[in-house]
Amino acid sequence: MESYFSVAMLGVILPLTVLLYQLVPPRVRPYVLLAASCVFYASVSGVLIAFVLLSAVSIWLVGLALSSLDRQQAAARAAAADSDARRAVKRRYRRYRRGAVTVGVAVNIGLLAVLRYLPHFVPAGGVLDISGIGVPMGISFYSLQAVSYVVDVYRGGVQAERNPLRLALFLSFFPQVMEGPISRYGQVGTSLSAGRPITVDGLWSGSVRIMWGLVKKMVVADRVNVLVKTVFSDHAAYDGGVIALAATLYTLQLYCDFSGTMDFAVGAGRIFGVTMPENFRQPFASRTAAEFWQRWHISLGAWFRDYVFYPVSLSAPVKRVTGAARRVLGNRVGPLAASGIALGCVWLGNGIWHGAGSQYLLFGLYYFVLIWLGGFAGLAGDAICGRMGVSRSGAAWRAWQRVRTLAVVVVGELIFRASSAGDALAMLGRLVGGFTFASAVDGTVLGLGMDAADFALVAVAILVLAAVGRARESGVHPLARLCPAPYAGRAAVVMTLFLVAIVFGAYGENYQPVDPMYAQF
Amino acid sequence: MDAILDILEDLKPGEDYRTRTDLVDARVLDSLTILALVSELEDAFDIIIPAVEIVPANFNTLSGIWDMVSRLRAADL
Repeated sequence: MESYFSVAMLGVILPLTVLLYQLVPPRVRPYVLLAASCVFYASVSGVLIAFVLLSAVSIWLVGLALSSLDRQQAAARAAAADSDARRAVKRRYRRYRRGAVTVGVAVNIGLLAVLRYLPHFVPAGGVLDISGIGVPMGISFYSLQAVSYVVDVYRGGVQAERNPLRLALFLSFFPQVMEGPISRYGQVGTSLSAGRPITVDGLWSGSVRIMWGLVKKMVVADRVNVLVKTVFSDHAAYDGGVIALAATLYTLQLYCDFSGTMDFAVGAGRIFGVTMPENFRQPFASRTAAEFWQRWHISLGAWFRDYVFYPVSLSAPVKRVTGAARRVLGNRVGPLAASGIALGCVWLGNGIWHGAGSQYLLFGLYYFVLIWLGGFAGLAGDAICGRMGVSRSGAAWRAWQRVRTLAVVVVGELIFRASSAGDALAMLGRLVGGFTFASAVDGTVLGLGMDAADFALVAVAILVLAAVGRARESGVHPLARLCPAPYAGRAAVVMTLFLVAIVFGAYGENYQPVDPMYAQF
Repeated sequence: MDAILDILEDLKPGEDYRTRTDLVDARVLDSLTILALVSELEDAFDIIIPAVEIVPANFNTLSGIWDMVSRLRAADL
């Protein structure tokens, strides 16, 4: 699939859209963005763009229905004789509104399930074989956005949108439609349709952000691709040391590719005056697996928190379980034990969202167990250290937590990248039972697609990424600091980053550029 | 408001709930404590707290919690 960092996008689609957007009157600008989004979408997925438009129409109609029900409910409550009658009205309209939102959710999750998952479970050539239709680009992302819109309207968090084209733009906005971030209508709806003029500040800071993403993708993600593919596609041929190296490099590759694509989304949004939500926040500084998921693919974690974890936790049956658990196990352990129900739903959903393969179910199960049991371990650790008077806030302890979490994350990404759960378990078995540095000592690792210079460059890139991450963790944004007021200085930063990508990027006959890694989900 | 204070003290004692303005932001109230708090508030005030109300603004301060409870009680009448 075509990357955002392609000549077509960076050299044609984005500049032409910027030009046209700025030339037309403000009220027309959102439609320029929509037209550009449709052109981009159709160029990748062809007629499957119809499914995006179908989703947009479905949530538009459900939003209008919810809005109409709200007005009817208000009128009926005003006409009610007493509080009992008002409660009866409220109950009746709650049923209607739940029905409407259920339709909206079912249509969008149904389309996702049918187009994305059904082909995995029906025999080829059968009546239900729809694999010939193909999978619309970004369906996993825009479907979650569609669900968030109807639920937010139902909850009263956003007003129902009357213009269906604005919802079509919300779902299909070209910088985000392929890999997210999974934004909410309340976050971007207003700015998407505002038609704000392009400013020099927005243009340059957006361009810097895009170039930073380009550097991460071309210098790191593309460089390690051959080694990762070689080892994961024939893992039985390698010892535990090589598998550990490949899993670590894959983790780095996924971060640089995915966060680089998010840099494009945020940067392009910035050019058009749209503030896209950040999807990464120094994930490798995490001290626990739970914290990692608050820093990695943030918009997906937030979606599952708001539309699965809290609704399940606050459902009547689960609340009864939580109350009973609190009475038996106390205020801390009780809710933690009961949270396993909602957490299980979240991680089952997270695993399935990534794909129908068994490795994704194992991936979800892995994090469910880690995070849920990690909660108990944290409580036990607090209690033990409290009794012993041992502090767990020192620098050494924090460093240990970060190293431990990094190892946990690398194992998770190994499972994620494997072809199946069986392959993942076999690789983990070799990692534990067959770990050796022999391949590093005898030079085997230098024959897997990366030479010594490649490893040195990746090491430097890691140091740069770590330094940038550390600065951002301290509240300093180095790229913003490199953008002083003079526009010539900013242009120099953009050009420098572009040159870094060109000079140090991995392309040519020895390399294989990686396809957008999250576009397959 | 005192009833809410009692619930908070029962769930997680030792915090200065009257003056703190960062109960969620500083993770004094984490997601599990909030779930337990929601359960207690619903029982104590005969209200239903929907998921949309689970936002930091409603739980960062004692007065924020009280405002949310008052609003939900009024909406139920």
